[in-house]
Amino acid sequence: MRALALALWGAVLLGSTLSGRLDLLLNGVFHPLVGLSGVALLVLAGLVLKADRDLAIGPGRRPSTPRSAQLAIGLSIAIALLVLAIPPNPSFSDLAANRPAELGEEAELSFVLPPAQRTLTDWVRLLRSQPDPSLYAGDPVRISGFVWPQDNDQPQLARLLVRCCLADATPVGLPVRWPAGQKPRADQWLAVQGTMAMEEHNGQTRSVVIAEQIRPIPRPRRPLEP
Amino acid sequence: MERLATAWAIFQGLLIEALPFLLIGVGIASLARWLAPGGAWLRKLPRDPLLGPLTGAALGFALPACECGNVPVARRLLAGGAPLGTALGFLFAAPVLNPIVLASTWAAFPNQPWLLAARPAGALLLALLLASVLRLLPETALLDPVLLEERRLSQPLAAVGLLERRTGLVGAVSPPPLPAKPTRPPLQEVLQHGSREFLDLAALLVLGCIIAAAVQTLLPRSWLLAVGEAPTLSVLSLMLLAVVVSVCSSVDAFLALGFAAQVTPGALLAFLVLGPVVDLKLLGLFRVLLQPRAIAITAAAATVAVLVLGQWVNLVLL
Repeated sequence: MRALALALWGAVLLGSTLSGRLDLLLNGVFHPLVGLSGVALLVLAGLVLKADRDLAIGPGRRPSTPRSAQLAIGLSIAIALLVLAIPPNPSFSDLAANRPAELGEEAELSFVLPPAQRTLTDWVRLLRSQPDPSLYAGDPVRISGFVWPQDNDQPQLARLLVRCCLADATPVGLPVRWPAGQKPRADQWLAVQGTMAMEEHNGQTRSVVIAEQIRPIPRPRRPLEP
Repeated sequence: MERLATAWAIFQGLLIEALPFLLIGVGIASLARWLAPGGAWLRKLPRDPLLGPLTGAALGFALPACECGNVPVARRLLAGGAPLGTALGFLFAAPVLNPIVLASTWAAFPNQPWLLAARPAGALLLALLLASVLRLLPETALLDPVLLEERRLSQPLAAVGLLERRTGLVGAVSPPPLPAKPTRPPLQEVLQHGSREFLDLAALLVLGCIIAAAVQTLLPRSWLLAVGEAPTLSVLSLMLLAVVVSVCSSVDAFLALGFAAQVTPGALLAFLVLGPVVDLKLLGLFRVLLQPRAIAITAAAATVAVLVLGQWVNLVLL
C-alpha cells in the first residue's frame, strides 16, 4: 500500500507537469522541480515495492504498520486519486476578489512596448509607474483578460499574477468603459480592442479603456502571468 | 459551487508546490540518519551558553532537515554526549536555519526579502532563549530517562553527578561495552523509514492545505480582515494555526502564503517562527527527548517569545 501511495503522488506530480495542469496552478519556474519530484517518487515507489516483496519472501515476520501510518497512507491514496480525477477549475474573479490588488517592486518597467503591443499587465504596470492619464489618451489598446466585477464600479478586465502558486494570485485590472447596454459576465475571457481615454472617478482622473470591439475567447493555455 | 472549485484549485496549487520540498526535506533527513552522526567529536562541541546553541544552530546547514527529521538527529546528538546547549540549539533552530527551508521561504515570498532575513533571525533568537531557559533545569529533570541513560554512557564519568551514577564508584552493574562507532543503518531500512516519514508528513500537509485553501476562499472576507488586520489578534490567531496545522518547516511557507495577503507581517513571521518549534505533532515527537515538564516550559516560553516578536515586528512595520 505504501508503494501505491508513493506512486500515486508521483503520478500526480508528473501527470500535472506533462498535462499542462501546472500552467493553471504554479509559476513556471517550479514546473521542472515538480516534474523531477514526480519521477523521484515513482522510482521510490518501485524501490519500496521491491523491498516489500523481498521482505515477503524472506524469512521472518513482516513488521506491522501502526494504525496512524495506515490512516496516513489511506488519506494519501484517497486525496491523490481525487486530485488525479478532478482537475482544477478555479473562478478567476473569485480568486481576484479575495486578494488585495497590489504590485510589488517588479511593477518597475525596464522598457515600454508600443501601445498596440502592450498586454494588459504591461498597461497596468505602465499606469502604476507613470500614473499620468493624459500621456496615454488616444493610444490604441489590444488586450485580453477575464471579467472582474467591482463593488461600486463597472467590471474591469483583469489578469492574475502568480509569484509562487495560485494561493498568492494577485489581480491586476484595467477599468473599461463597456459599450452601452452590454454588461459582461464575471469570469468570462474577452479580447478587447479600443482606445485609452481619461475619465473622472471618485474625484480623480484615471485612464480607462473605451471598448470598441469585444470578442469572447477561451481561457488561454497559460492564464497566469509571472 | 464556484467557491468550492476555487478552493479545490488553491488546494491543488499549494499541495503540488509543497510536495517536492517535502520530498527533498525527508530525503536529506534520511541521509543525515544514514550518515549517523556520532563519535567523540560530539563531546568536543562548545559548551559555552551562547556559543553552544549557535554551533547547534549552524549544524542545521550541515544536516538540513525539517523539525520531524530533526528530532531523531537531536536525540542522536544528546545520546552521543553532545553538550546540552549545542543539542538544544540544533533542535530548535535547525528546522529553520537550513538551506531547504530558506529556499522554500524564498520560493513562497520572493517579494518579501525582509522575511527571508527575519525568519532565521527570529528562529535563532528563539533557540537561544529556549536553550538558556531549559539549561536552568538539571539534566535529570530535562531529558527523557531512557535518553539520559544512553547519554550517561557517552559522557566521562566525572561529568555525571555522584547520586546519578549507576556504575563506576557507586553503581552495581558495569556498563555494556560501547561500539567504537555508531553503526550505519542498512540503506533499505533508511528507504523504508524515509518513505514512511514522507507519507506521514504528506497526510499532515494535505490537512494543512485543506485548512489554508478553505480559510482563503470559504470564510467571509470581512471576517478575515477583522482578524487579520488587528495586530495582536492576527499574531495570536496565526500562532494558534501554526500549532494546529503542524506542517513541516520545509513547506509551511507555502501555507503562510495562503494567508499572507490578509494578515499583519508580525503574524506571518510568528507563524513561520513558532510552527517549527511548537505544534501538536512536535509535542508528541519531543517525548523521545524531553520530560513533559520541559516540553511544557518549551511551549510556554516559545509562545510568549513569539507573541512579543510578532508584536514588535508589527510595531516596526505597520
